[in-house]
Amino acid sequence: MKPIDRRTFIRSSIRTAVATAAVGSLPVLDLLALPAFAAEAPPLAVRKGTDIPVLVRQTIDALGGMARFVSRGDVVIVKPNIGWDRTVELAANTHPEVVTALVELCLEAGAAKVRIFDRTCNDERRCYTQSGIRAAVEGLRSDKVFLEYMDRRAYRELAIRGGVAFDNWEFYQPVIEADRFINVPIAKHHSISKLTLGMKNLMGVIGGNRGRLHSSIAESLADLVSVVHSDLTVIDATRILVANGPQGGRLEDVRQTDTLIASPDIVAADAYAATLFGFDPSEIPTITAAARRGLGVMDLKRVRLV
Amino acid sequence: MKASTWTYARRTTQSLCLALFLWLFLQTEYRGIDQLPYPVSLLFRLDPLAALADFLAPGPFGWGVLWPALVVLLLTVVFGRFFCGWVCPLGTTLDGCGKLVGRGRRTYSPAWRRVKYHLLIALSAATLFGVQLLGLFDPLAIFLRSLTLAVYPAYNFGLNRLFDFFYEYQVPGLSPLVNASYPVFRNHLMAFHQPIFALGLFTLLIFLTIVLLEKVERRFWCKNLCPLGALLGLCASRAILQRTPQTLCADCRSCGSLCRSGAVRDDGHRRSECLLCMDCTGFCPDERVSFGLRRGVDVGPVVDLQRRGVLTALASGVVLAPVVRIGPPAWQNNPYLLRPPGAVAEEEFLQRCVRCAECMKVCIGLALQPALFQAGPVGLWTPLVVPRFGYCEYNCTLCGQVCPTGAIAPLDLPRKQKAVIGIAVFDKNRCLPFAKGIECLVCEEHCPTGDKAIVFEDKDMLIDGELRRLKFPRVVDRLCIGCGICETKCPVEGASAIRVINEGESRRKRLDGPADPYA
Repeated sequence: MKPIDRRTFIRSSIRTAVATAAVGSLPVLDLLALPAFAAEAPPLAVRKGTDIPVLVRQTIDALGGMARFVSRGDVVIVKPNIGWDRTVELAANTHPEVVTALVELCLEAGAAKVRIFDRTCNDERRCYTQSGIRAAVEGLRSDKVFLEYMDRRAYRELAIRGGVAFDNWEFYQPVIEADRFINVPIAKHHSISKLTLGMKNLMGVIGGNRGRLHSSIAESLADLVSVVHSDLTVIDATRILVANGPQGGRLEDVRQTDTLIASPDIVAADAYAATLFGFDPSEIPTITAAARRGLGVMDLKRVRLV
Repeated sequence: MKASTWTYARRTTQSLCLALFLWLFLQTEYRGIDQLPYPVSLLFRLDPLAALADFLAPGPFGWGVLWPALVVLLLTVVFGRFFCGWVCPLGTTLDGCGKLVGRGRRTYSPAWRRVKYHLLIALSAATLFGVQLLGLFDPLAIFLRSLTLAVYPAYNFGLNRLFDFFYEYQVPGLSPLVNASYPVFRNHLMAFHQPIFALGLFTLLIFLTIVLLEKVERRFWCKNLCPLGALLGLCASRAILQRTPQTLCADCRSCGSLCRSGAVRDDGHRRSECLLCMDCTGFCPDERVSFGLRRGVDVGPVVDLQRRGVLTALASGVVLAPVVRIGPPAWQNNPYLLRPPGAVAEEEFLQRCVRCAECMKVCIGLALQPALFQAGPVGLWTPLVVPRFGYCEYNCTLCGQVCPTGAIAPLDLPRKQKAVIGIAVFDKNRCLPFAKGIECLVCEEHCPTGDKAIVFEDKDMLIDGELRRLKFPRVVDRLCIGCGICETKCPVEGASAIRVINEGESRRKRLDGPADPYA
């Protein structure tokens, strides 16, 4: 090989740098813009039923099966709401059977590892136990499934590109690194955001003083959605909490709705769930904020019901 | 110096007891079961001083919890101070650390021997008249308190920093191993949440002082200061287990200088002072020394307590009590004096609490902190709920389960959820909607009562000349139980914009109406 002289070396280095910068600046490579593309008539599956494992399977099958979302060898995160020290019937946490049914589907699709966690509001040990999720996950007896306490060391401060409420926040590294992120909230009343659904469930994968998000909840949650992409959002509306949310504590506030909502579009899923509470999606500020920023579709007429 | 089989048996028992207490200490934590599966406060159920505090406090004696302490007393009457030599974890610590700090051989004025008896008498007299300070000097409380407030937090801090280091810097070969072992440590050998306590250093210094006194004289604390040792000594003075020979042998006299408790002297074997370490059965060159059960031998020499000293101790206890009690009630002086749910009325609480720190160890939310002067001059080390650090978990009843003396009553869950610690009050100068026109409601979100004790109302507020509709939180007094989760979670930095005060706490008799200032 011919040795290159200094002049050639400098010239080719500059060329490479310019070319790289030019390619990098092309908007088509901007991953953050992807949700906007996904906004083309996203599919949305809604099913009703009382047998939860069957219900989960039917709903996911309607979207084309879990294999559309999880590939062989993927590390998948299933993120339920385990925020509160409440029992299953009080509808404060995602139903354990919804969680395990989804985990089983992931394993069938060939997931190498399924991790389950939430940054809880009450003590995490109590929440994991009381919610029934610990017992249900242990009942799976799989060495690929991990119900983990969040590691306080694994939060990383990330810049939120185009953030409106915040320019940066601490996010949970494993969520950012995972191959797939499945968001499994329970549909509940919430006094400040009106409802807590898929978008609000993302508050369980961030660090920091989360209470600060409350002062501009809609734009804050849209900021989170712009960083944490949910490959699939499955809203547990088998029973919903219609008052005294998000924690509940009274059976009178729980309604049996036997519904499961699933979509790769988090905004569409939230928008549909809002109708269960008698709201038009446009009445929920978090949903409108996310839709306005192109993070998903809130107009249910532009959603492909499957 | 030869060690006899007895010495080995004693050392083994000491190690096993210490290991048992340390294991129970580690189990004094929520591990997924609401009802603690082990008698974690066994150390204090064995403690005659805790039993004494309970006995002298108002109300019936807690037989169900404290019967082991009476067994200890009975066994002491028969065998002598076996507890000090064989069981007491502080004694074991002193024996174990002796080599480390150096063992003093000096013998100080025999007057020191009396101090522990006088201390016991003064403390008992004060307790009888309503000011219980036994826990400050109880060796078992000192041991567990130091462990809970200082040693264990430091141990966790060190381990956490170590794990953090290997997590942050990926050391080839080592880091994967260390990281893999982290969950095992966190779930079984460490505290789940890093414990943080006020008074850690202060508590540790006292503990270290007691350990360093070994340098002056072996078992200085046990021989001269320990009121529990004094109580057991009083019971042991006629013990049936006796030593042969009773006195020093004329041809040797080694026991006189080698005995760690200085119990063997020319005038005989003082059973009230003998810790039954059994070392003398080993170091006697002619193997003359033996212990055996014998009755009918005379009482033997005891420490001369001196009438003047006893009377002074008695008087100081009797005087101390009323002088302390004429001070202003601490709960009125300090509205933030909050006690754990189930705590009995303040005066009785101070009479019952032996400052063992079991409740602070077990508290799942790190809500309990030791008091310095917040609870008045005699409230040192008693548990305070400090909600800015941690809140009382709604579905948890652990502190009542571990309290050995009934200072915190064991409440079942429905009763605990109705036990009022205090009432939350907004600081409208700091609370975001009131002070800055910013919506928040984090307190309302976390309020755990099924019927929320924090509700909100929509109100118009004039901000920059513009009327805006905002949600304003409000506390519903009849529903608030003062758990303090609102204070813990309040996102305002520094002091919380909502704070719990002890108004209306259920351990105080509730007034039907406002107090009549002219009554």
